[in-house]
Amino acid sequence: MPVRPASTLAALLAEVDIAAEAEAGDGPDVTGALDDIAALLDHAARSAAAVGGWTPDEPLRLAKGTVGWLLRCPRRALAAGDAEVSDDLVGGLVVDAAAKLATLVPQRAPTVDAALDYLAATGDTAVADHLADRGGRGALPPEVAGRVALLAGAWPTIDPGWWPRVEEPVRAGLAGGAVVVSGRLDLLLGGAPTPRPAVVVEVKAGRWHDGARADGHLYALLVALRDGRPPAAVVTVVADGTTQVEPIRPAVLGTAADRVVHALEVAGTIAAGEPAATRPGPHCGHCPLRPDCPEGSAWRPVADATVPA
Amino acid sequence: MAARRRRDGAGVKDAVGAADRLRAGLTETITRVLADAPAPVADVYVGWVAAAEAADCPARYRAAGEGGWGFPGWTASTAGAAVGRAALDRHLHDATAPPGGPDLPAPLEVVRTWMRDATAAGAPGVAGWVGDLRADRDGATMAATAAAATRWIAGVVRVLGWPLPPGLVLLNVTRDDGPSGAAKWWPAKGSAVTVASGADARLGRVTGSGEFALVVHRPSSADDREVHRRATFEAAAGALGLRVAPDAVVVTAGDTGDRARVVVDEAVLAAGGEMIAEVVRQRVRAMTTGYDAGDARPSARCRWCDEAGHCPPGTAWLAGPGRWRGGLPVLRSGRASATAAVGVAPTG
Repeated sequence: MPVRPASTLAALLAEVDIAAEAEAGDGPDVTGALDDIAALLDHAARSAAAVGGWTPDEPLRLAKGTVGWLLRCPRRALAAGDAEVSDDLVGGLVVDAAAKLATLVPQRAPTVDAALDYLAATGDTAVADHLADRGGRGALPPEVAGRVALLAGAWPTIDPGWWPRVEEPVRAGLAGGAVVVSGRLDLLLGGAPTPRPAVVVEVKAGRWHDGARADGHLYALLVALRDGRPPAAVVTVVADGTTQVEPIRPAVLGTAADRVVHALEVAGTIAAGEPAATRPGPHCGHCPLRPDCPEGSAWRPVADATVPA
Repeated sequence: MAARRRRDGAGVKDAVGAADRLRAGLTETITRVLADAPAPVADVYVGWVAAAEAADCPARYRAAGEGGWGFPGWTASTAGAAVGRAALDRHLHDATAPPGGPDLPAPLEVVRTWMRDATAAGAPGVAGWVGDLRADRDGATMAATAAAATRWIAGVVRVLGWPLPPGLVLLNVTRDDGPSGAAKWWPAKGSAVTVASGADARLGRVTGSGEFALVVHRPSSADDREVHRRATFEAAAGALGLRVAPDAVVVTAGDTGDRARVVVDEAVLAAGGEMIAEVVRQRVRAMTTGYDAGDARPSARCRWCDEAGHCPPGTAWLAGPGRWRGGLPVLRSGRASATAAVGVAPTG
């Protein structure tokens, strides 16, 4: 399904027709499709758990990052999670926090300082520690303030009837709890029991990329499985001023489920003792396992690999 | 959803008698444990967190000391449920009910309204804490608290449905006239031990027949394993505080939308009572013995445990099963820290 050239989050919310939700979310086709997807995922999870040995007490836990890496480069999926906090990551967290503040306190445009205070209030110490090591808040890359301002300018005032919820947790237990797929949405609007359809909103500090699209699909799948209705759309608001709106139809959820099924198969073989496959690519440049990965170390961008005439 | 006693033989036969037996048995046990203490014990507060910690790893629980046993204080995270309950309670009481019941609440607005209208510095409970935030103009913490409270309300309403089930009463709510509804129990007058129910709501009136249920809402949880254990504790704590055993404990989960109903029977009450007694035992033992490898119970919690560095069972677990995370092995690179930030592969 092509990504529709977006209008804006505000335009989408204005366009949503409440009456259309019943047609999109409650029809027997959609309900049947969701039942089929749930059955597919549970069957795949049971098969993988039989291979991987997971149990409800020691389950396989899949989040968007793990699913993505299991498909892209299984070895990378096994890297320890304590990755170095970079300026890029910190900038992303600040922009993300600014979007949440803009939702929670619509009467006041978020600032970088307010976003940093919000992060501290939520117990997130990564950003504060990173900046403290570099001399304080002044060490924040200067472009972050511009991104926050862009985002604040584009962020709509959201009608309370949309039930805005930031950092909404969603989780699906499969195979009797031996497999857990979970996520935490930047922002979820609507959905049961409101009369409006759900809209998943993700905020990206950098540029939009295809991986973000797959992440959004996974979140849509989890919301659909939880609520029994698919979201109307996944909206990715990018701090460069662009917005991607992707309508969610059963086929999109099917694609997302197929990705999870494939990730389960890969995870099962790894847990059973098979070596994790390595698939070098542009991601190798930032991979923490690269120093010990011959394939990753040997990988070159296409331009570098070209022999000059 | 109505809390009706099951007619198929499940559950306790005599709700008041079951609660009385639990109270008597626990009073005897706790009295004996306290009598064996080397010195008087002060302020043992037994809530769900303490019960879970003591059961999970007694060694870690004892080692936590006073700093780890008490309430950690209000934060955006710890206040989310309390603010959510208070705000929803106010909405239910303030709403001019149209036919069919109060309007569907808009969670964020309900929370913002409560924060604006029902809080003041010096007020009891979480209302006072939010009042202090307002006085300090700490908008960031208020926003983070509102986010957590909003998730709580949205989760409760989504899982339980709207209108809320008939007979549902929110518990542990801070109202203008002071905290109310929290079921607490003391084994004896002036006892150092307080057992507190953490239930969020009650379904049905507390009567001698026990035809009511306690409701616990969890916005998110790592998995389903904790559901039955939480229900077990709340069944016992509720029976102690209310003097009547509930018919059931309903545990709702916001992240999955699940609603688990655990029927309260004699075995559930006994298991919950044992969790409570274990907290008192460990607090008494902590007077002479803090950390002890003998009863350390390694688990994923070892990753964040202050004792892990010198805990042989924990160290062994971290070097063994603990090397896996989320069901997959973990790979580390010895040189990763020095080279992870390299943008592209070297060409030399």
